[in-house]
Amino acid sequence: MIRKTKSVRIQRMKLLMSQRARQIASLLLLLLLFQSPVFAQSALERVRKSGELRIGTDATYPPLESAEGGKFSGFDIDVGNALARELGVRATFINSGFDGIFPALQNGSFDVVISSVTITPERSASMLFSDPYYASGQLIAIRKGTPGIAKPEDLPGKRVGVQISTTAQIDLEKRKNVTVAVYNTIDLALLDLKNGRIDAVVCDAPVLRYMIRQSFPDLSTVGARFTDEKFGIVIAQGNDDLRRALNSALWHITESGEYDRLNMKWFGEASERSADEAASQTKRKAFDVGIVRRTWSLFLTGVWLTARLALLSLALGLPIGLLFALARVQSSKTLAAPAALYVEVMRGTPLLVQILFIYFVLPLFGLNIPAFWSGVIALTLNSAAYISEIFRAGILSIEAGQMEAARALGMSYPQAMRHIILPQTFRRVVPPLTNEAIALLKDSSLVSIIGLTELARTGQELASRYAAPLTIWPVVAIFYLLLTFPLTRVAEYLERRWKPVTRA
Amino acid sequence: MNTPEYGFSLPKAAFHAKLHSRKKQPVEIAEPRVIEVTNIVKRYGKNSVLNRATFQIEDAQLTTILGPSGCGKSTMLRCLNRLERFDRGQLRIGDVEVVGTEEKALTAAQEKDLTARLRASVGIVFQNFNLFPHLTVLDNCARGPQIIKNQNRKAAEDLARRYLEKVGLGEKVDFYPAQLSGGQQQRVAIARALAMEPEIVLFDEPTSALDPQLIQGVAKMLRGLDDLGKTLVVVSHDMAFARRISDQVIYFEGGRAVEAGTVEEVFANPKMPETQAFMESFRDDPQN
Repeated sequence: MIRKTKSVRIQRMKLLMSQRARQIASLLLLLLLFQSPVFAQSALERVRKSGELRIGTDATYPPLESAEGGKFSGFDIDVGNALARELGVRATFINSGFDGIFPALQNGSFDVVISSVTITPERSASMLFSDPYYASGQLIAIRKGTPGIAKPEDLPGKRVGVQISTTAQIDLEKRKNVTVAVYNTIDLALLDLKNGRIDAVVCDAPVLRYMIRQSFPDLSTVGARFTDEKFGIVIAQGNDDLRRALNSALWHITESGEYDRLNMKWFGEASERSADEAASQTKRKAFDVGIVRRTWSLFLTGVWLTARLALLSLALGLPIGLLFALARVQSSKTLAAPAALYVEVMRGTPLLVQILFIYFVLPLFGLNIPAFWSGVIALTLNSAAYISEIFRAGILSIEAGQMEAARALGMSYPQAMRHIILPQTFRRVVPPLTNEAIALLKDSSLVSIIGLTELARTGQELASRYAAPLTIWPVVAIFYLLLTFPLTRVAEYLERRWKPVTRA
Repeated sequence: MNTPEYGFSLPKAAFHAKLHSRKKQPVEIAEPRVIEVTNIVKRYGKNSVLNRATFQIEDAQLTTILGPSGCGKSTMLRCLNRLERFDRGQLRIGDVEVVGTEEKALTAAQEKDLTARLRASVGIVFQNFNLFPHLTVLDNCARGPQIIKNQNRKAAEDLARRYLEKVGLGEKVDFYPAQLSGGQQQRVAIARALAMEPEIVLFDEPTSALDPQLIQGVAKMLRGLDDLGKTLVVVSHDMAFARRISDQVIYFEGGRAVEAGTVEEVFANPKMPETQAFMESFRDDPQN
């Protein structure tokens, strides 16, 4: 029961948490900066040698970057491909949540970040930027016909939605009296605006226009871009040669006309139609079956990843949890005290921080664990703490007379545990363990912060790709339900099989 | 007492041979005292539960430790198979010597060894039986020999079946404890203890968890075990029951043995004032 509350809380607090995660991520970033250069070899040499430019991107930002079942598209994607071609290598895109993208760059998970990143002094202090490749600016969206909001000076006293870690957030937080609501993806901010919970949304102009045109006919942009922002390609500190190469490649594609072609393709006349015009287009239903039909198979990779994460973590967490429970119920303090400390620490710190720690901090100590296994380890260690408490409660619920009777027969403590206490314990803990397994399955969505496109992240990407959160999230929910269903069946089977015989 | 409905018996001589063969030093066989308790003291904080308890229990007899509730008799019983440790004094059971924890500290290995030897010769039937609810009646009795004595499954089950038949539950081997009545559960607990083939069996308040009409059956059952040649030690506060079943009675009060003797001696001619007072209340009670 406790766990259930916690799980719900986690889901609900995910937005808030990501805010904290951002602070943690910056902290991690700082830590990384104190390290000696990550690569002994120059970055450019390594890119050339491996024949691939690994590009990190948060593909929830159409038309600049979006993903559909591992297939990336958007202006940034095309630019990335063009640049890689100039360097004589191929581009490999790696999807990462925006709040984890810079630590992952420093971590060496990719060579560059091309993800609509505005060049700011703060960011320049810790990372390298290429020359600007795109000029953007922040724009305000409101519900059509809302009076009194036309420019940023009108925003004080209002509730304004932004995407996490974006320049929109940074800008608004500097303004007095603006209540900033932070969302993981921009489509959720727009949905909240549509539903009337916030008064405006601020976002990069092309993205805002795209989203509104796609599926928010009730919304419109007002005024003009009120900031002047330049997007740059982000390179980890110390990789000046790579930056020089990218700048020259940028210059080349501009000269060759390739850049203009891409600009027209994504932001040309057709795309620059005003939001008002777009509203007259076919109105899309809140739940669009066509999108479901087109995307359902794209979910399967996410489902498979979520299933593997959850099952592996559960399979490892169960025995580890049992060991910790056994350590705590026996009389020797030397084992019980560390086990209690472990539970205290793992249960008392957010899973998100544990994931970040394993993925971003351990490499500083030479332990470089791939994202998938980082996720499995974090979920395992975290769930083991809860599982150990479930087992401990189960063991303690067995009447003291059982242990006495077993010992009085002559069994040793381990024999009594194994043959008498634990078999009875297992029967009793099936229901709470099922709870834990399901909570684990759903908590596994937190690993998206280290770039794992599991089920929830897949949903996030598709929701922004199609600007259709109300279509995509119910589908995500159904897939989670399909995943928990077999778990519940297994639990039912075990309960039936192990049914304690109470009466004739 | 001879009860023909119970199947088999172990000759006393054979039992003695078994018991004494393990002794390093020959002991006087004349009056074998299988349990010797000398000045045992046990305290919980300041509260003394056992207060220099001293008594002997003789071989192959049924001895009842009788006394009012709170007199320490159950704690005394639990000291006999080391479910409880005591602070001072000595306990000897067969060739196993136990000394109070304040007088001699044992290493974990010594403690383990001592406990194992003690429990190999002392079985116990708990007040509320403590049967293993997840095991069948047969497994309740067979698992002990299987796990502790490394008997193979078949041998252990044969043994278990034999003792279950002895207590009259040969038909119930495949039932689970929860499917049995209280009296039947108690008999499973007895068979479970016997299957380990201890020389001594302890019974903690065997009548307290049962309906009054079942008490006579328990008495009969206990006397039915005579032919096994075991030393039985029963703790009870029920005088009528004690009088009916016992060879020897130890009257316990205030954490020590006040008086010991045969049923006639203790019930008809108690010497100590405490015993006399207790017997007095017994006679006044219209229920008895």
